[in-house]
Amino acid sequence: MAAISVQGLTKRFGDVLAVDQLNFEIDQGTVAGFLGPNGAGKTTTLRMLLGLVAPTSGTATVAGRPYRELPDPARRVGAVLEASGFHPGRSARDHLRVLAVAAGIDPGRADQALELTGLAAAGRRRVGGFSLGMRQRLGLAGALLGDPEVLILDEPANGLDPEGVHWLRGLVRGLADEGRTVLVSSHVLAEVAQTVDQVVIIDRGRLVAQSTLADLTAGADRAVRVRTPQPEALRDLLVASGARVALDGPGQLTVTGATTEQVGQAAAAGGVVLHEMRFERSNLEDVFLELTGGKGERP
Amino acid sequence: MTRLVHSELLKLRTTRTARVLLTLAAAGTAALVAIVLLLAGRPGQPALGPDALRLLVLVPAQPLTLAALVLGVLGMAGELRHGTATSTFLVTPKRGRVVAAKLAAAAVTGLAMAAASSAAVLAVGLPWLRAKGIEVAIADAGVAARVAGLAVAVALYAVLGTGLGALLRNQVAAVVVGLLWWTQGVERVLTGILHQPGLERWLPKGAAAALTAPGDGTLPMWAGALVFAAYGLGLALLGGRLVARRDLT
Repeated sequence: MAAISVQGLTKRFGDVLAVDQLNFEIDQGTVAGFLGPNGAGKTTTLRMLLGLVAPTSGTATVAGRPYRELPDPARRVGAVLEASGFHPGRSARDHLRVLAVAAGIDPGRADQALELTGLAAAGRRRVGGFSLGMRQRLGLAGALLGDPEVLILDEPANGLDPEGVHWLRGLVRGLADEGRTVLVSSHVLAEVAQTVDQVVIIDRGRLVAQSTLADLTAGADRAVRVRTPQPEALRDLLVASGARVALDGPGQLTVTGATTEQVGQAAAAGGVVLHEMRFERSNLEDVFLELTGGKGERP
Repeated sequence: MTRLVHSELLKLRTTRTARVLLTLAAAGTAALVAIVLLLAGRPGQPALGPDALRLLVLVPAQPLTLAALVLGVLGMAGELRHGTATSTFLVTPKRGRVVAAKLAAAAVTGLAMAAASSAAVLAVGLPWLRAKGIEVAIADAGVAARVAGLAVAVALYAVLGTGLGALLRNQVAAVVVGLLWWTQGVERVLTGILHQPGLERWLPKGAAAALTAPGDGTLPMWAGALVFAAYGLGLALLGGRLVARRDLT
């Protein structure tokens, strides 16, 4: 059964079409990355999924129902959203207790959630003095309060230091191992590549790809890099045989759409000298940039 | 619903705002009552008689109602200002229930402020009057009615503030609008422009005056309470509908 389902989801803000006929499903127990450049519509999609923004058309369901119709949402779905804030004068522990009381969850869970997110020592401090990383952790603590089966995390790595990012990966992996469904958004594929089973990629509000990580790289173009004193001659030979060739620099070619064997054969046939040839698997980030028109930010 | 009201009251207890307002209600009242007692009997000031308590319990009415109004605005609009609305509405996606819980919590806090204030009136006023040899009856129906009326008025001002905060999503705008309406005699000006002198007592602040400053021009206490409550709840209903429909981006 799909833990998260988005069907024909569309959101228009005035003249801006933020999300356009989006369809995807995330199966129960899957960790999925929700990727796209900044401004692609990720946050708007997640906010529609969570009942905070009303879709212009289409539907979004979590745990089988539209979020607003879930009888006990805090126990089914936990979410960390970018713009969610805290009252600066309230302590971290009190923030969680307020949420717990409203959700009918034992307020004692607040201390457990602080423990889980490494905030136990700071629990009684006012949030106003918290760093960005600590606020992210507190957001996660709030999401985990109801021990939910589905977690929706919007750019949770923002503001975390490398150690924090490492910790976050471990936490998400641990939650997945317990059979939970996790949808985690990011504008940097590398950030989630080690954690996710599946990716949903959007750009300008539209679905660009939904696949497993393995399929994503398998489907990508692989490149052969060649160093030769006769680049133009080799380029013409390869282009004639149907490959795509880019001149990278003096004596440097990048060939796509041909294997190393084909490149070698073409060189031999044309009497071109090769100084170096290597096969390059394009990395995930390149695939991502290609799919999203290269507008994403590099890490 | 009960747990939502508890959560809202916990919100108020876990920041400084409500605590400061309660302390101010007690301390400010004590100071005001002391000033009135000091000046009593001088030219232009009321003399103290057996009904002095009736006068004293309403001395803090103006600052108290203003504080309650601000408390209501901050409780509602503050959620958007600090971004806590997101987590609040994630836990309770039926937003109308959140607004209802906020109204209840604001009313309860308003009652507490009024109680703290009236206690301060008695704590300062009774020994003072006794020292001056003025006998006052504590079990005076007029005093009891004024204490109750003031409590209702303060609670309803907090309700009205909550509605105002829901209607104008911007906290600063809501506070400014509230202050302008409250301090600038908008209702008096309006009645003047319309040449309808009888209208003022039917307007929100005029209706509330039946409880905070009862006199010849005001409605009977019960009618003032009803009219003012209708304004407060009407505004809250309108604001609540807006809050429920707005996108939280």
